[in-house]
Amino acid sequence: MRAESMHRRQFKGNQRLVTRYFRQFDLQMMVIPGLLFIFIFNYILMYGVLMAFQDYNIFEGMAGSEWVGFKHFERFFEDPRFLEIMRNTIVLSVLKILICFPAPIILALMLNEVRHMMFKRAVQTITYLPHFLSWVIVAGFATSILATDNGSLNMALEKINLIDKPINFLSIPEYFWTIIISTNLWKSIGFASIVYLAAVAGVDQQLYEAASLDGASKWKQIFLITIPSIMPVIVIFFILEIGNLLNAGFEDLLLLGSNPVLREVSDVIDTYVYRVGISDGLYSYAAAIGLFKAVISVGLLTLANQLARKSGNSLW
Amino acid sequence: MISSRKIWIMIMVLCFVPIIISGCKDKESNVEADTGGKEKRGNDELFKLGEEPLEITMFGNYDWYTMPPWGEDVATKWIKENKKVDITAIDGGGNAAQRLSTMIASNDLPDFIWLDKGTDVERLRKGGALVPLDPYLDKYTNLQEWFGESGINMLRSEDGKLYQYPNWYNAKPFGNAGYVVNKGIYEELGSPPLETTEDLYNYLKQVKENYPNITPFETDVEGQGINVLYSAFAENQSPANIRINAVPEGDKLTSIFTNEEYVESLQYASKLYREGLITQDALTQDRDMVTEKVSSGRVAVYASASPTDLARPGHYNLQEEDSDDGYFMVWPIAKAGLNKDNIYPGAYDMMGWNVSVITKSAEDPEAVFAFLDWLTGPEGQSVLIFGPEGKYWDGFDEEGYPQFTEKYVSDPEGAGKIEEDTLNFQWNGNSNFLDTAKAKFTETLPQEDRNWTTHWQNEITWKTQYDATAYLGIDPLPETTEGQIQQSVGEIAEVARAEALNAKSDEEVIKILEEAEKSAQSVGYADLLAYKTKEWQKNLETLGK
Repeated sequence: MRAESMHRRQFKGNQRLVTRYFRQFDLQMMVIPGLLFIFIFNYILMYGVLMAFQDYNIFEGMAGSEWVGFKHFERFFEDPRFLEIMRNTIVLSVLKILICFPAPIILALMLNEVRHMMFKRAVQTITYLPHFLSWVIVAGFATSILATDNGSLNMALEKINLIDKPINFLSIPEYFWTIIISTNLWKSIGFASIVYLAAVAGVDQQLYEAASLDGASKWKQIFLITIPSIMPVIVIFFILEIGNLLNAGFEDLLLLGSNPVLREVSDVIDTYVYRVGISDGLYSYAAAIGLFKAVISVGLLTLANQLARKSGNSLW
Repeated sequence: MISSRKIWIMIMVLCFVPIIISGCKDKESNVEADTGGKEKRGNDELFKLGEEPLEITMFGNYDWYTMPPWGEDVATKWIKENKKVDITAIDGGGNAAQRLSTMIASNDLPDFIWLDKGTDVERLRKGGALVPLDPYLDKYTNLQEWFGESGINMLRSEDGKLYQYPNWYNAKPFGNAGYVVNKGIYEELGSPPLETTEDLYNYLKQVKENYPNITPFETDVEGQGINVLYSAFAENQSPANIRINAVPEGDKLTSIFTNEEYVESLQYASKLYREGLITQDALTQDRDMVTEKVSSGRVAVYASASPTDLARPGHYNLQEEDSDDGYFMVWPIAKAGLNKDNIYPGAYDMMGWNVSVITKSAEDPEAVFAFLDWLTGPEGQSVLIFGPEGKYWDGFDEEGYPQFTEKYVSDPEGAGKIEEDTLNFQWNGNSNFLDTAKAKFTETLPQEDRNWTTHWQNEITWKTQYDATAYLGIDPLPETTEGQIQQSVGEIAEVARAEALNAKSDEEVIKILEEAEKSAQSVGYADLLAYKTKEWQKNLETLGK
């Protein structure tokens, strides 16, 4: 009896879904193009990953290419440089998460406390401008600042007698990660902080008033009101960042790490794929590494999301 | 309410219909292109340029390449009007490799593609996208006449057919690699001899002591000058060995890492670098930084694969301030005891730079070939480089070279502009013809009127370039096993060279190279060398050496 009524209710529900769908058909019409777009450009193209299991021949197409199983994956895993490349990828990503991820949050919190509007605007504009420069330009700056012959940093250090001989910054592996992280930080901090500034601006002002009536100091207000209020935003960005763990950068490493001496610290998956896969036209090999990256990224994303779910701020 | 909803639905449907229709259309237009118009004319019938309009599409497979509009400069305007040829380019949009892949995948290739020899050409050929040029060689003869039979044979693919039309090919040595010296500094230091590696070392030390802000030895981008230094230690070899990662010994190509001369040259370079005599930015600087140093005269000795490019403007720049200043070139440095006439700081090959290939998408491949062949011939080259007949040149002399007018001497800027404007139309430059024409003209000029580069090419660089034609095309394709080895060995060599430069002592250089040899052998270097030896021997046979 009970089962029957549930069945009937479900049936009714289904019917209602269909009629509801057609009742709002005009609205659905507007959704369809978006869905179609995603289906065509994000799903249909996914058959291309099959290329990773073939010796893809561009003239024959997918249908005419030979299937080779896991050959390209094996080649990547057996490459003598595989471990080094994975290490660099993960270290650079983790460094970016540890330093470049919290920095814009701190900048946003600091800017939020600035009372002088002109100063705040000026700082905001100056810090987000580098975001619009391409890496070619930023790397050009960095290379000439760090140059040994007439590089401004070396000249400054020599003038204040900190060093007596110019340091060849871009040829010493030990310095490379620092240079990459700091140029990344300089380039991205302002733009990334915009989101957090917006989130901070959305916090209910009454909370601050109430807190200051209760005698909470500025620090306490930041830690007890501002940060918890923008926590959902932080967590979402953090999850996305974790999903990006295997994207450790590309142009920056390619341009600043041009000296082959640095390869042991500068070579990451993307630069390797670029050199080996794309430049030489090894489509299948590049696709195999891309697929490997994607699988790990989805895994990491799911993991991060599950952790975040415990704090109640998960992405899904 | 209902009527407004109906209107909405109508609007949406109207938006969809054209999209769906346009998505289903097309298809038919591309099918015929493959076979169309092959048997247009008989064996003796020629395609005569200028009799019927000819429209050609082309693609330049380089990220930097954008073809300027055809017919906007005087040279191509003349061609367009008098030869009725109109050319449109497909632009790579800064990502040529990807554009080419897209065109291949969609079977939508242009009439001809201008690209590097080797991998891409072979791929296109194996995919059946190229037209063999052999049937046209005897009908349109400029290539045979100027390039020669052995050159054509070298360019032939595995199947024995010719698919590529060469650019800047030359039967005589050419190239600019070598050493440029700053005249002002050299004379202030008492013009010491600069012949042996020992001389060079002492001179650089002297420079460093007396001019702390000058770079004693400039090596250009990617440390090209370090490769030039290799030539100082090896008779009858050239830096081309470093590019192919192998050294010929007898009839075999052997490991470069165990080659004594290469080790010695890296030890020397490392010593110079350690003592601050080579620019410390050798492997990191970009072209702008080098340009700045050379043009302001802040280098004492400058070695690279083509130092004249920057040294020529630098020379005139320095001379403007002080007519005694400037740059000059010295005969290639040699290690004491070696014969200086057997030292080759650079290499050239007869094939020149790159090639054009005609695709099966071309409606009339013979017409395209006829045009390319005309362009590389005396008339085409003269128009393209010296402008339409009548202004800077008038008619040909008895040997078939253009006769230059007074205007060519009195208006060097105007004449230079023509060559500059057509730079990106020079798809099949004929170095043999142009160099001879220019050299004949230069001989008629007094010393001070000669172009700086032309002068040193005649005096030094053309006499000291190595014929590396036999090393062409000995690289395996990247998707093969040997190609995979080559990729690894290439990286090992690149890193070893950089590490050797940074080494703290001569012993460390030896250790780095021993280490490199071990890693290279472990990825299969021996197989790669065997492969390259085989291809090299095949080339020698083709060249009849």
